[in-house]
Parts: sequence; structure tokens; C-alpha cells
Amino acid sequence: MIDQDKKYLNTIRHELVTIVEPNIYYCYQCGKCTAGCPLSDVYEYQPNEVIRLIQLDKIASILNANSVYLCASCEICSSRCPQEVDIAAVMNYLRIKSWHYKQFKLSSIANFYGIFLRIVKIFGRSFEPLLILSLNLLNKNFFNDFDIAVKILKKRKIRLMPEFIKKRNEVSKIVKKYL
Amino acid sequence: MEKLVNTKQKDDSTIDQDKRKFAYYPGCSLNSTAIDFNISVKNLFKALNIHFEEIRDWNCCGTTPAHNVSKEMPIALSARNLFLAKNMGLEEIICPCVSCYCKLSKASILINNKEIKSESEIKTRKEIFEVFQNMGYKTEEEFNFKVYSLVELLYKNKELIRQKFIENKNKNSINSETSTIESEILKDLKPVCYYGCVLLRTEGVTKFDNMENPTSMEEILDTVGIKSKHFRFKTECCGAILSLTHKNIVLKLSKEILDAALEAGANSIVVCCPLCQQNLDLRQSQINKHFKSKYNIPVYYISQILGLAMGLSYKDVMIDRLFVEPKFIKK
Ligand code: SF4
Ligand code: SF4
Repeated sequence: MIDQDKKYLNTIRHELVTIVEPNIYYCYQCGKCTAGCPLSDVYEYQPNEVIRLIQLDKIASILNANSVYLCASCEICSSRCPQEVDIAAVMNYLRIKSWHYKQFKLSSIANFYGIFLRIVKIFGRSFEPLLILSLNLLNKNFFNDFDIAVKILKKRKIRLMPEFIKKRNEVSKIVKKYL
Repeated sequence: MEKLVNTKQKDDSTIDQDKRKFAYYPGCSLNSTAIDFNISVKNLFKALNIHFEEIRDWNCCGTTPAHNVSKEMPIALSARNLFLAKNMGLEEIICPCVSCYCKLSKASILINNKEIKSESEIKTRKEIFEVFQNMGYKTEEEFNFKVYSLVELLYKNKELIRQKFIENKNKNSINSETSTIESEILKDLKPVCYYGCVLLRTEGVTKFDNMENPTSMEEILDTVGIKSKHFRFKTECCGAILSLTHKNIVLKLSKEILDAALEAGANSIVVCCPLCQQNLDLRQSQINKHFKSKYNIPVYYISQILGLAMGLSYKDVMIDRLFVEPKFIKK
């Protein structure tokens, strides 16, 4: 089991440094990415640390920390890196892989992705009431955002019935293929 | 990747607008919680004589969840919308939602024939085309999609906006003395423009403005006589969809944006992204509760403000659907 674990980490690392972002080795730890990152104060590893840990072949510790899962893909880091390291793409790639290998650490976010995509698979479009309801149930936080739900209803800014697209089977096929 | 270069392009007013038609992709947000954005954009386009047609049977772009679980899924989901537009004979697409815009424009770059592609991109493109061939779509044609965000389109049509604004002003000059809710809102407006984090950073997409200190929204508002305040938080991130799972992070980031707006001397914020708008407007009450603060800052879509300037009523642009309403709207 441990060997197998290690094998998938090696695959990830290899792909990461050869295909996804070979520029990783150009990082000279200036810290600009971290300085601009809106989430740096809640990250367990800062963006520049993530890059350094990859150089040092310590993918497992990154995947065990919250950083890659919380990253909002705002692309501030990548757009400012003087060495053209696409940090956001690295974060994104690690998220995709941990989803794929069922190692996604933050369950609330994993729940959100799972439910959202299932809804799109059924209807072809998103349907917020069902999304929020299922999320609150799964996360056992029943009255989360109840206050704003009331406001949204009052302003008539939500559909109470889902919209089905005609060829939803096409969307279903796409979601199923890649989920 | 393109760095800090300012590649502002010429405006599009030279193109014959009467013959030009766009495919319109609203996306799921604009169909529900951002209905005010949707309606105000559509009414603004009508006022500006910009022709558009909604993509028939469009699907969700998959937004954050799709691109975080798969490299191909967001491209394939958006490819369907692009192919549908092509079936309608349209290749110029307007997409007001910034999140959808990122997905659609990234997909368009992969699908277009002329853009240079890496080996792995060619492979992905081929795979995705196969999926669509099996569903009966034509993939052999020449593709030349161009996806516009709302700000880019308006920016390129600045002269048209200016012209229509002056026409409307002359038309109404007879009763310009009477003050209406619309004129009060416009007169009172001292906004900052907030672009959000990703509009100008989307990788691989043509930059129409500087990504660190953009000025296109300010320039657009300037054409209708609105002066914006200098704002140092123009392209900071509001926390986006973390609002669903890690609300406190979003409340903190959004509070900082509201703070910076007040510090700039503004009394309102003009935005162009439904998610930013939601975090700043809908969640302003949660911010107030959480931080025991008393913010009361209306957060308008740029289409709402321009709509008013074109002489539309506040109901035409749905200003009464904002959660933090301007004080001129009587309850
Ligand atoms: S900005 Fe680039 S070079 Fe600087 S620390 Fe971050 S990744 Fe390294
Ligand atoms: S893309 Fe992620 S890591 Fe980079 S600045 Fe934004 S939140 Fe931070």
C-alpha cells in the first residue's frame, strides 16, 4: 500500500516538473507570489513554499496541507512571478490529481464540487437551491446562510424550479467522462 | 505569459454595428441570483443598438468545480456552447460573467484553428473533438471564435457610448430640471471601479488593459460624465466561491475591499462580475454582523450605471433588486 502511494506521488511529481510547469526550477524564492496571495494568512504552506517543496520532492506534505485546496485560482501569483512560474496552474494541477486519486483533503470543498457537478449532469445547468440545501445537509450545518436565503427569496432572485436544457444527455456524457 | 504590457486596442466603432451580431452567453448566475446583471446588460445593448442572440440550449460552464477536478471537463463543457453558437452562424460571443468568460475564452483558444498549440493541447483538442463528433457535431470546419467580456466590449465601443449618451441628453434636455430617482442616483455617484482578480489575468487571453492598474472601467464611466475615485484594490480577490465553504475568509477579504473603497472617498462600487457583486452586496449584511460594522455601500453592475446614463429607468436596469439599495429608492 505504501509503495503504491509512493508510486502515484512520483507520477504526479514527474508530470508536474516536466509537462505542467518546468519553470518550477527557475523559482528563486523572491516571495512575490505569497505577498500578493489573498489567502496567504490561512495557508499552511505559502505559495513560494509549495514551489520549494516540489523542487525538494516533498509532494506528500503539500497534499496534506490546506493550501492547494483553498486556492481561489485568482492567478495573482502567476501574473506577478518574475520567473514566469505558473503557480496557479501548479495548484490547480495538484487539486485535480488529489481529486482523481481520492485524496482531496478538505471535505467541505470536495462535497461542493461533487454536488455541483452532479446537478449539472442532471439538468445541464446549475440549480442553487438544491446545491445549498445538499451542502448544508452534508456538512451538517443546516442553517448556514439562512439569513441571505431569505433575502434572495424576498428579492425574487432565485429560481425555485430547475431549468432543464433540451440536450442534457450531451452534458451528462461530458461530465461523466471526465469526473 | 504576457506581462504588464498595456496593449490597449483601437475601438470597434468603425465596424458596421448594424450588420454585426453577437452570440450571448448568460451562464447560470445571470439566470438566477444575478438576474439584475442579465437584464441590465440586455437593456443596455438594446439602447446602444448592439445586436445579440442568446445561445440556444446553452449549458453550465462548470465554473470552479469543473476546472478543479479535471483539465478537460471545463473545456468540453464550454466547447458545447461554442459549437452551438457556431451552429447559429455566430463566432463573436459576449459573456458578462467573468467566471464563464475565463472558461469560454480558454476553450475558444484551444478550438480555434489559428492559435499555436503545444503537443498536449493538440492531443486534448483531438480527444474533445472526438467526443463531439460522436454526438453529431461538425468539427471539421474552420473555427475563429472571439469571446468578449462585458468590459472589453464596452471599452471598444466607448465612442458609441459617448454618442448615444449625448443623443439621449439632447433628447431629454427639455425636462432636465425635474429630478428623478435615476438622475439622483447618477448625480450622487462617487464610485470606485472594482475589476476583481481574474478578468484581466486569464491566461492566454488577449489583454485589453493593464492587469495591475486597469483603467478601462473608469474610462467607460468617464464617457458618460462619471468620475471615479482612485482605488488601490481594483484587482484584489474577494474570495470568490469560497463563500460557500469558508465564509469567514470571504467576509474578511470583502470587508477589506469595502474599507478601501471608503478610504478612497467613494460612496459606491461599480463592478463587472456577478460573484464579486454577490460577495460585496448580498454578504454586506453578514460582514456587518460579523465585524459589528455599519457599511451601507451600494454595489452596482457597470451595465446598470451605463443604462441609467442612456436614459433607462432604474427598473429597466433592476437597481431595485440590489440588496444594498441607493437611498433614493423608496421602500
Ligand atoms: S514569485 Fe515566482 S520566483 Fe518568486 S517565490 Fe514565487 S514562484 Fe518563486
Ligand atoms: S491563484 Fe491561488 S495561490 Fe495564487 S495568489 Fe491566487 S489564491 Fe493564492
